Amino acid sequence: MAVRPTQLRRALLQSPSRLRQTAPNTIQHPELQHLLSAAPSAFSSACPFSSTITTRTQNTPDYAVPNPSRPTHFGFQTVTEAEKVERVATVFTSVAESYDRMNDLMSFGWHRIWKDYFVTSLNPGFSPLTSGLDPRAPQHILDIAGGTGDIAFRMLQTAHVVNGNPDVRVTISDINPAMLTVGKQRSTLLPASQQAALSFVEANAEDLTRTAPLSPPGTRTPAPTSTIPDASVDLYTVAFGIRNFSNIPAALREAYRVLKPGGVFACLEFSKADAHPLLNTLYKEWSFRAIPLIGQLVAGDRDSYQYLVESIEKFPSQAEFRDMIVDAGFVVGGQGYEDLTGGVAAIHKGMKPRV
Amino acid sequence: MPSPPAASRSAGAAAAVARRILHPSSLLPPGTTSLKPCLRAATTTTTHAHTTTPRHHLPASLPIPTRTSSRPYHSYSHPPPPGPFTPTESLLLAAAYRHVPTHGFSASALALGARDAGYLDISPTIVPDGVFSLVQWHLVTQREALAARSVALFGDGQKGPNVVASRVEALAWERLLGNAEVVWQWQEALAIMAQPSYVPASVKELAMLADEIWFLAGDVAVDPTWYTKRASLSAIYAAAELFMTNDRSLGFRDTQEFLRRRLQEASEMGNVARSVREWLSFTASAGINVLRSKGVQI
Repeated sequence: MAVRPTQLRRALLQSPSRLRQTAPNTIQHPELQHLLSAAPSAFSSACPFSSTITTRTQNTPDYAVPNPSRPTHFGFQTVTEAEKVERVATVFTSVAESYDRMNDLMSFGWHRIWKDYFVTSLNPGFSPLTSGLDPRAPQHILDIAGGTGDIAFRMLQTAHVVNGNPDVRVTISDINPAMLTVGKQRSTLLPASQQAALSFVEANAEDLTRTAPLSPPGTRTPAPTSTIPDASVDLYTVAFGIRNFSNIPAALREAYRVLKPGGVFACLEFSKADAHPLLNTLYKEWSFRAIPLIGQLVAGDRDSYQYLVESIEKFPSQAEFRDMIVDAGFVVGGQGYEDLTGGVAAIHKGMKPRV
Repeated sequence: MPSPPAASRSAGAAAAVARRILHPSSLLPPGTTSLKPCLRAATTTTTHAHTTTPRHHLPASLPIPTRTSSRPYHSYSHPPPPGPFTPTESLLLAAAYRHVPTHGFSASALALGARDAGYLDISPTIVPDGVFSLVQWHLVTQREALAARSVALFGDGQKGPNVVASRVEALAWERLLGNAEVVWQWQEALAIMAQPSYVPASVKELAMLADEIWFLAGDVAVDPTWYTKRASLSAIYAAAELFMTNDRSLGFRDTQEFLRRRLQEASEMGNVARSVREWLSFTASAGINVLRSKGVQI
């Protein structure tokens, strides 16, 4: 993001007339209408024109409404939001096959520990024993940017096996069909009961009203057929995905929309290890020198991995991202985040309050 | 270990600065609210946690207890810093605390509390330390309730060295009685507190309790005994708490006796230490004087 939300908010407060005009202008803008009609497939998932515009009230600040022509960052480059969607899609289509192997190589397998801890700390499917007829409450978990299923499979294991609650289903959503296809293939190794509790959808996290079923590889993405309704999700997770979003504030507000009151937004993402200078130096050396090289040698794709490390560098710090979560309407406990491995990664959690 | 309060601090200016830095009201526009700097609003924190309302009669959203001091010493010239719990945590923990007598300091209590408050089973996952936060909630609310009980017990009567000692015992006993409702779960809580990552927070809370008791008892010492008093009371209180978990006597009479004996021993030990110190300092100064009388340049 080129401009920080707080700065934008300040600017908007200074010119309230701009804020009032924002929403209608976005829809009626002739250039955008033209873009929409000219390239429907490219922008269909990035433009929330159809039904969301009614749910996004005038209270939504300007910076949280996706705008394909607004500048954002792609690694260290500045591109428009629409361009970022396409380029991120290219990156992940390119790395999908080798994604899991590369994760192991880049983090010495440590990403498994982070993911295990992330899922354990959320304890999905846990329900207290009560004297009622069915003590277990059903849960719907939405795993955004869940492509290869790492988080979703762990969620199912914890919920079904550890907590013995079969009434937990997981929806894996990803903008990229290549990543979803890998996840779908991997899911065939799961027990049948867990496969039955899984579903795969293609959607842009900034607009979950337009989701499409996973299409077979090589075919065109089908038109969006379904929607994730308001207040329908217990737990929204996004692991190592949110930094690739074109408009993070919009995605956070969409998460707020789909969560039930009391539902939890949980994010596992690379963060800043600035508190530990020595660790930080080693970590930066590793990520900027070794990771693109490994990407070149193992996956034959240096540029994609260069983007990955640059996007980590551009992602906001723990406290800034916590403020963005709070800005989207969530409440947090404690300081709102938990550092993993000295801050190389961090878990952010927020709860949708009852209003 | 915290420092003793600086008795000779220029109160006015320091308080004004501290209010700007520390106090939540400094975040509000000027003039919206002004809280008394020394106000110790400990009385309001526990009232909701202790009332037991039938579940179906619970209001849609529970009242949020206001939170106060987490500072390791008492000050008349500085406002208390904000407490360790955010409003949301307070709400979830207060609701969960009602289930502790039956379900213990456990994830079940947290989830049932969240249901009572109209939230989901998954909601308590935002409480940073989970069940340890629930233990902490008990510790903090009980500690802060002491101020109100102290007023009820002693009023604003006169203070003196003998009064302080008896008040320390009465307050420590009051605090132990605060565990009575959850005493069956207390061994579990002690086990949680003993987990390595939670030990620092638990020890800090114990130190704050000892400080609270000495403060409310009217102790104003700023010499090195400030430390020894708090350290010995912490040890005695922790021992008495452990004793209480196995006490089956009526009204925990054995625990009360145990507490009294330990405090008695400590005060005797204190007397012995004082006598030894006096004897040593007299002997040392006398010895130096003898040497000086012999012409040694000291």
